[in-house]
Amino acid sequence: MEEVKIGVYVCHCGLNIAGTVDVEEVAKYAATLPSVVVSRDYRYMCSDPGQDLIKNDIKEYVLNRVVVASCSPRMHEPTFRNACQEGGLNPYLYEHANIREHCSWVHDDKKINTEKTKDLVRAAVKRVYHHEPLEVKEAPVNPNVLVVGGGIAGIQAALDIANGEKRVYLVEREPSIGGHMIQLDRTFPTLDCSECILTPKMADVGHHPFIELLAYSEVEEVSGSIGQFKVKVRKKARHIDESKCVGCGICEEKCPWKVPSAFEMGLAMRKAIYIPFAQAIPNLVTVDPDLCVYIQSNGKKCGACIKFCEAKAITPETLLNQTDQIIELEVGSIIVATGYDQFDPSVIPQYGYGKYDNVLTGLQFERMTCAAGPTGGKVLLKDGREPESVAIIHCVGSRDQNYHEYCSRVCCMYGLKYAHLIKEFTKADVYEFYIDMRCFGEGYEEFYKRLSEEGANFIRGKVAKVTDQAVTEEEKGKLIVVAEDTLLGRLIRVPADMVILCAALEARADADKVASLFTLNRRADGFFLERHVKLDPVATPTDGVFIAGCCEGPRDIPDTVAQASAAAAKALSLISKGKITLESAIASVDETRCIGCGRCEEICTFHAPKVISKNGVMVSEVNETLCKGCGACAVVCSTGAMLIRHYKPEQILSQVAALTEVL
Amino acid sequence: MNLEDIIQETKTYYCLECGKCSSLCPISRYDPQYSPRVMVENALLGLEDEIVYNKKLFSCLTCYTCQLKCPSDVDYPLFIQKARVLATAAGQHGDYAHSGTLQSIAMLMARSPLKQNRLEWLKKDGYRTSEKSDVMLFIGCSPYFEPVFEDIPMRTLNIAEASLKVLNSLGIEPLVHPDERCCGHDALWMGDVETFKKLAEHNATVIKESGVKKVIFFCPECYRTFKLDYPNYVKLDCEVMHISELLAQRLETEGLRFNEVKRKVTYQDPCRLGRHLGIYDAPRKVLQAIPGIELVEMEHNREESICCGTSCFTNCDSYSKQIRVERLLEAKATGAETLITSCPKCQTHFRCAMVNKGEEKGPDIEIELMDLVNLVATSLGG
Amino acid sequence: MAEFEPQIIAFTCNWCTYAAADLAGTSRIHYPANVRIVRVMCSGMVNPMYVFKAFESGADGVIVAGCNYTDCHYIDGPVKCDAMFARLKKMVHVLGLEEERLRREMISTSEGVIFARVVEEMVEQLKKLGPSPFKIKMETLA
Ligand SMILES: Cc1cc2nc3c(=O)[nH]c(=O)nc-3n(C[C@H](O)[C@H](O)[C@H](O)COP(=O)(O)OP(=O)(O)OC[C@H]3O[C@@H](n4cnc5c(N)ncnc54)[C@H](O)[C@@H]3O)c2cc1C
Ligand code: SF4
Ligand code: SF4
Ligand code: SF4
Ligand code: SF4
Repeated sequence: MEEVKIGVYVCHCGLNIAGTVDVEEVAKYAATLPSVVVSRDYRYMCSDPGQDLIKNDIKEYVLNRVVVASCSPRMHEPTFRNACQEGGLNPYLYEHANIREHCSWVHDDKKINTEKTKDLVRAAVKRVYHHEPLEVKEAPVNPNVLVVGGGIAGIQAALDIANGEKRVYLVEREPSIGGHMIQLDRTFPTLDCSECILTPKMADVGHHPFIELLAYSEVEEVSGSIGQFKVKVRKKARHIDESKCVGCGICEEKCPWKVPSAFEMGLAMRKAIYIPFAQAIPNLVTVDPDLCVYIQSNGKKCGACIKFCEAKAITPETLLNQTDQIIELEVGSIIVATGYDQFDPSVIPQYGYGKYDNVLTGLQFERMTCAAGPTGGKVLLKDGREPESVAIIHCVGSRDQNYHEYCSRVCCMYGLKYAHLIKEFTKADVYEFYIDMRCFGEGYEEFYKRLSEEGANFIRGKVAKVTDQAVTEEEKGKLIVVAEDTLLGRLIRVPADMVILCAALEARADADKVASLFTLNRRADGFFLERHVKLDPVATPTDGVFIAGCCEGPRDIPDTVAQASAAAAKALSLISKGKITLESAIASVDETRCIGCGRCEEICTFHAPKVISKNGVMVSEVNETLCKGCGACAVVCSTGAMLIRHYKPEQILSQVAALTEVL
Repeated sequence: MNLEDIIQETKTYYCLECGKCSSLCPISRYDPQYSPRVMVENALLGLEDEIVYNKKLFSCLTCYTCQLKCPSDVDYPLFIQKARVLATAAGQHGDYAHSGTLQSIAMLMARSPLKQNRLEWLKKDGYRTSEKSDVMLFIGCSPYFEPVFEDIPMRTLNIAEASLKVLNSLGIEPLVHPDERCCGHDALWMGDVETFKKLAEHNATVIKESGVKKVIFFCPECYRTFKLDYPNYVKLDCEVMHISELLAQRLETEGLRFNEVKRKVTYQDPCRLGRHLGIYDAPRKVLQAIPGIELVEMEHNREESICCGTSCFTNCDSYSKQIRVERLLEAKATGAETLITSCPKCQTHFRCAMVNKGEEKGPDIEIELMDLVNLVATSLGG
Repeated sequence: MAEFEPQIIAFTCNWCTYAAADLAGTSRIHYPANVRIVRVMCSGMVNPMYVFKAFESGADGVIVAGCNYTDCHYIDGPVKCDAMFARLKKMVHVLGLEEERLRREMISTSEGVIFARVVEEMVEQLKKLGPSPFKIKMETLA
């Protein structure tokens, strides 16, 4: 081994360090340590002349190790590594001692600080001795992007990327894209019609040359890592010939079998062969195999659609023998935009959802006011009457320790939207039961003000129950909403014909599966975790996987779209760079020491190590693009075969021993 | 002691360079870079650096396979032990298994005054011990091994508990000492004589002060250390004995009665009990005295027995694993249901070889493992 | 005689607790100088041996600190650290080490104050306990 020659540089940082540490003494002390050939103190090491000191000494003294004692390495380690590199030294032959944040700024006794600084410098010197040059590796980025979920978030992200002429695979689980937004009638606060603004975007997705839409499909498997993911998608059988179907809908008209429509939130029926809604993209019918009597009877009964389809898109063959297809994709990055579920209010029995006909959820009411919806846009009770009074209950399942602690962010606003629509369509009185009105967005507070002027009644209080047990004549035949009006401090009973529950937005029921598929993390509330809540809100701990929209937590459409564009920008910047720098300080296996026990394979969250048979001997191998260098594997490795570069036992242990070394 | 002295003491100068050692050595069979013959040759050529700075110096299992067959009676394992002292002095050490925690624990045990909590397991059950007994049961590092080997899983205290149970049913209520320390076996064989001496002195003092006349061991390494190594460093005025010897003795003197245990078993001779101390019969006698036990021998047994593949928790590597796989396959080939051994460390290393958490699997080496005392405890238990 | 000044080694993860200690610095929160920080990438990287080495070398107390469960840069490092720590505690317990000498903390980036408080608290406790038993070397007779 070549002789180790260490250069030590102690920074004054003006008076930030020198004020409470005798830096000259420290530098003198460092010069006495083994293998140190030059030791200096300097006013500002990070300045150009400071860095030049290092670069010149590397040449003059043939240094092969450098230690700088200054501020936090989180601030200037990259600076000095860079200086080493420019001086011709591998950047990993560098060690940093934090004597400002961890010493001069937090302790005041100059003598003690000077001693502590010596300890820190000595430990850095001992550690740097064991450093090894590491290769900085790069890997190419596949320019294709996978977007999962075709709600407004997924649609926006896909279009942004495709408009940059990069290929996008958009995978949507349902027969059509659109997500929750296409179910909405009008959108607050501008009240523009949701369909009118969304369908053009959906159509763009449908015929964009750079988007390959895989609707009625789900991702089954993801392997690989940033820059080179391999994805398996299951394209479910629609039981029709997609190339022939023109979406005329004659089959749907003729099909005699029905179930409640999920799209219409159960307020209308759909057939066994169906297009979920008129503007569906792709405009294709889908056969529900569980409901289709032809399929269930193995071709013995019904078959109406086969007879009526002029395009010959439905045949006994498609109905009986069509199977799912597995499509394999290669992409460089992934955007997850799987959205949310509406909270099921029937778990709060006091609100009578599922028990009383005229207790509705927000999404049901959206369908009701929609001109193309089940009531043709009329606000009607189950018996066809128009309501005389409507109660809107906020925070159902939100801001409630028993269900979800968080605020769902959109309910106040859509509650107000409903008040306006009810006023517009009916003569009914409207009562809004709220805890706090949260109108934070652009034009939201103004919208609230407008509604107050329109004559909606605002009652501040959490509703205790909704009941049909009348106590007065006036209450008979109505639902009674019981609450405390906290502003008046009085228990009130409000008779209403219709009650709308502003149900919370919650994480998808299958969020755990999706999380493990894409190696995402979930917060305690179930939504996907961003890499940094403020500074990196669309990235995730898994490199190359981004999140956008309500899968990350409840939010309105403007925020969803902004996030989707942000995620698209992240993906595009990755593509534009074309390559990624791999982490150098990662795990590696000393094959002669490995006993192939697989402990490393078991513990690694990123699936980087795999035990394989090499010449009949079981040994572990680390996939370097997956490894993040967290070091967990090395802790469980019983033999010491698994080593984390730059954090090898001798590197850490020599530092530890030196810190406590009694002089 | 320098290299020259070591050569003298271990009769290395007699070496004929016949290569018998290297051809028998279990390590050399798998690790092409390890050869006892070359090591000896280098010593004779005075190439001290080739020995001291050679990581393979720490690969030797000190299993004594080579020594027993050496035509010149070179005590190679002792040569290794002494050469490691030189290496240690030069700041060298082997590759520690378990990150070196076991070495560290032994080192910390060599620092006084500790208030160890090493006997908490005793509180659990109705074992009978006595502070005034003239027999002591040496527990060694078992209480430390438990948390270290949790994931294997290996419960060393099971063996301690069974030993106590067995002693109790022989009418012995032994002393179990709360201030015992590691016997120092690994430290000694790794060349850390400093730590070894401290531990030996402490244990000798503790034993002397307790006034016991006999110390019983269930670990052959502790036993060997007390029997063969302590006398070179400390004065120990008491008898030492492995529990299998005690049992064999009682079989003869008292005709112990065991309940039937139906099982086909094979037996692993621990190197320390077997080749180091020549105790092959005692454990076999005990096994055969248990009605229902059918003992079948492995291809290599007694003197020829193959080491469990790891020693002193150092240089446990892919070669060590291959030795263990070979041995376990041999055990399986006998058709036995259970592999009996009388060394907690053999059992640990074998169990560890069976840890197979990866998706892809190696050869099938799963076999039930049990210490002799656990088997005896079962057959004595009502 | 001067008052006994305990030595503490703190293993802190790069992303949270190390950053918290940085924050204590930038906010000039003063705390005793008895602590020396070792930066590791993740609390899940801390090997029991690091802690043993610290005690072996004369530390009176050791802190293992990192992110909370929810903000780990490596998703679930703290869970792995917990598992290691549970095993480690069993080992040092048999050795008879006082519980107060070994602390597991989760201190997030914004909690500079908490970092300083933990150090203060531990220094106080250790002063009461006195030097670590492992500091005292055994006498050799020979
Ligand atoms: C009653 C109600 C009224 C609202 N009114 C307004 C309003 O007026 N104004 C406003 O700004 N916001 C409103 N919102 C909020 C709005 O709905 C959301 O901001 C928006 O729909 C979020 O879009 P998204 O794409 O993130 O999620 P989603 O719309 O939920 O889309 C997710 C898509 O992903 C698909 N998917 C899910 N899992 C998978 C999977 N594993 N594989 C493939 N695909 C999958 C789903 O099928 C869906 O198409 C309202 C919300 C509710 C509940
Ligand atoms: S260092 Fe972490 S990411 Fe890398 S292989 Fe080990 S456990 Fe996996
Ligand atoms: S844990 Fe260590 S010994 Fe086991 S397979 Fe992984 S690298 Fe090999
Ligand atoms: S003692 Fe055993 S391991 Fe060592 S050289 Fe001899 S045969 Fe090989
Ligand atoms: S075989 Fe023994 S030394 Fe090797 S890892 Fe397993 S228990 Fe540890």
